[in-house]
Amino acid sequence: MAGVAGGLADALGVSDGFVRAAFVTLSTVWGLGVLIYFGMWLMELDRVEDVEPEPAAPHQALGLGVAFAGLLLLLGAFGWWPSSALVLTVGALAFGTAALTDRNMPGPLAALVDPTVERPGRLRMLVGIGLLIGGLAVFAANVGPIYEIGPVLLAVALTGIGILVAFGPWVTRLARDLSTERRERIRQEERAEMAAHLHDSVLQTLALIQRSDDPARMSILARHQESELRDWLYGNAPLDGVDLLSTALREAARRIEADHQVPIEVVVVGDHPLNETTRALLGAASEAMVNAAKHSAAGRVSLYFEAENGELVVYVTDQGKGFEPGDVADDRRGIRESIKARVERAGGAAAIESEPGEGTEVVLRMPVSAG
Amino acid sequence: MSIKVYLVDDHRLFLAGVRAELSEEFSIVGSAHDVDTAIEEIRGFAPDVVLVDVHMPDGGGIAVVEGVAETTPDVKFLALSVSDQAEDVIAMIRAGARGYVTKTIEPADLADAVRRIDAGDAVFSPRLAGFVLDAFAGAMPSDDDPELDQLTTREKDVLRLIARGFAYKQVARKLNISIKTVETHVSSVLRKLQLTNRHELARWASKRRIV
Repeated sequence: MAGVAGGLADALGVSDGFVRAAFVTLSTVWGLGVLIYFGMWLMELDRVEDVEPEPAAPHQALGLGVAFAGLLLLLGAFGWWPSSALVLTVGALAFGTAALTDRNMPGPLAALVDPTVERPGRLRMLVGIGLLIGGLAVFAANVGPIYEIGPVLLAVALTGIGILVAFGPWVTRLARDLSTERRERIRQEERAEMAAHLHDSVLQTLALIQRSDDPARMSILARHQESELRDWLYGNAPLDGVDLLSTALREAARRIEADHQVPIEVVVVGDHPLNETTRALLGAASEAMVNAAKHSAAGRVSLYFEAENGELVVYVTDQGKGFEPGDVADDRRGIRESIKARVERAGGAAAIESEPGEGTEVVLRMPVSAG
Repeated sequence: MSIKVYLVDDHRLFLAGVRAELSEEFSIVGSAHDVDTAIEEIRGFAPDVVLVDVHMPDGGGIAVVEGVAETTPDVKFLALSVSDQAEDVIAMIRAGARGYVTKTIEPADLADAVRRIDAGDAVFSPRLAGFVLDAFAGAMPSDDDPELDQLTTREKDVLRLIARGFAYKQVARKLNISIKTVETHVSSVLRKLQLTNRHELARWASKRRIV
């Protein structure tokens, strides 16, 4: 906990699992282990970080074990413990568990979980399992009669504990592996999707730019790609499955920009879901943009969309050559009429203002129920 | 004497491009592609106008604006970015930048913007006008200074026209006011943007208003 066991283990050259087991065992003797632990913690005996842990030779480790057993026996001989059964049970269980699950010297459980871990010595495994079974047996023999627990019930409980101790770490490890694998798979799918998207969009555009020698076209391509990539990255995408008018307007602008090689600047204030009514607005706005891009000869077209006070307003503005409203060629009159008709059918209004040399502005208004 | 301009952008190519576009009319006193160099050199050179990119490593344009404002308050900043992120742009303005234009701006318009910034005016691109209208939209219970928390009808008219792509001159003609008055309105909006406590300004951009 406070690093005492780890520090002591390093100092003694044995693995910390065994040191912990020793503390646990001693704790059954009137809490002696706990007292020693805190005593050492207060004296900061855990601060031996600089010492490179040097594994004790087998005979040294054996000596330590014998010394510890002697200490326990001494305590027992003087009758200084509450119950030999308790001490023996806990001791056997603690050391058995340590032998089987120790981190530094991989026990059989570690080998079960991770095939790269080399198989532990058979002796160790036998001793560990023996200690566990012995501890459980002593526990059963002593505790069972005292509390009058049915032998079957006790056996079931002990088997459960045994299984838990033996396979608990393995199960958690398995679960962790599974979730790691799932995360990894999701990541790979995301990467594949991103690669596919970049291939269809950015790489294609870069290829087109390399083959183009018209600066205006290159700039349009780059612009188009930039705004498309930005939408993809920052998610100007449908919100909660609802398609938004702003998104649709941006997409339309981008398409027209690419088709007609005129930059279209889109500014949006507020938003509204895309539905039957607003689709009419979108269609009319698209026609207005195409019109401006094709006929105005302006360097750029502006689209301003505002949703405010229960009304949607779209302005499509250009600073191009404009025209005399009363003096319009038939084909353009058709477009104008279709813009107007579209919006009016959906309950809105359209106005087109233009003057020769002063550019053109199409204003589309559509009332919507607020909320 | 020509206006002294300093450029800050972490994209060297863009830096070179802007330098080429502006060097005929203005005296480009220096440029930097990182925040620390920029702050140090701007303090030393004391240029009239700094063009600064919004998105850069180590704190971005805001760090430059704030770092310089402490020691050299006379330097004026124009934010320049490809960013569509409203909160970043608004944050730059609130830090003290006097305008924001997108990097797709025409060279002639950029030169015009630099002259305006030097003259003490604010420079609003259509996109910034849209951001500001969005930020101030909706009824808002104003706690301490209602005047700062709302735009006047006239200010909104000006911003809408800018958002529709009109230049200041055209805005003035459409509203039957002088260019000077347009500039006054825009400066007033800038002031409100910098001083208002409307706490939702910082957060509004994260949620889109659906009317």
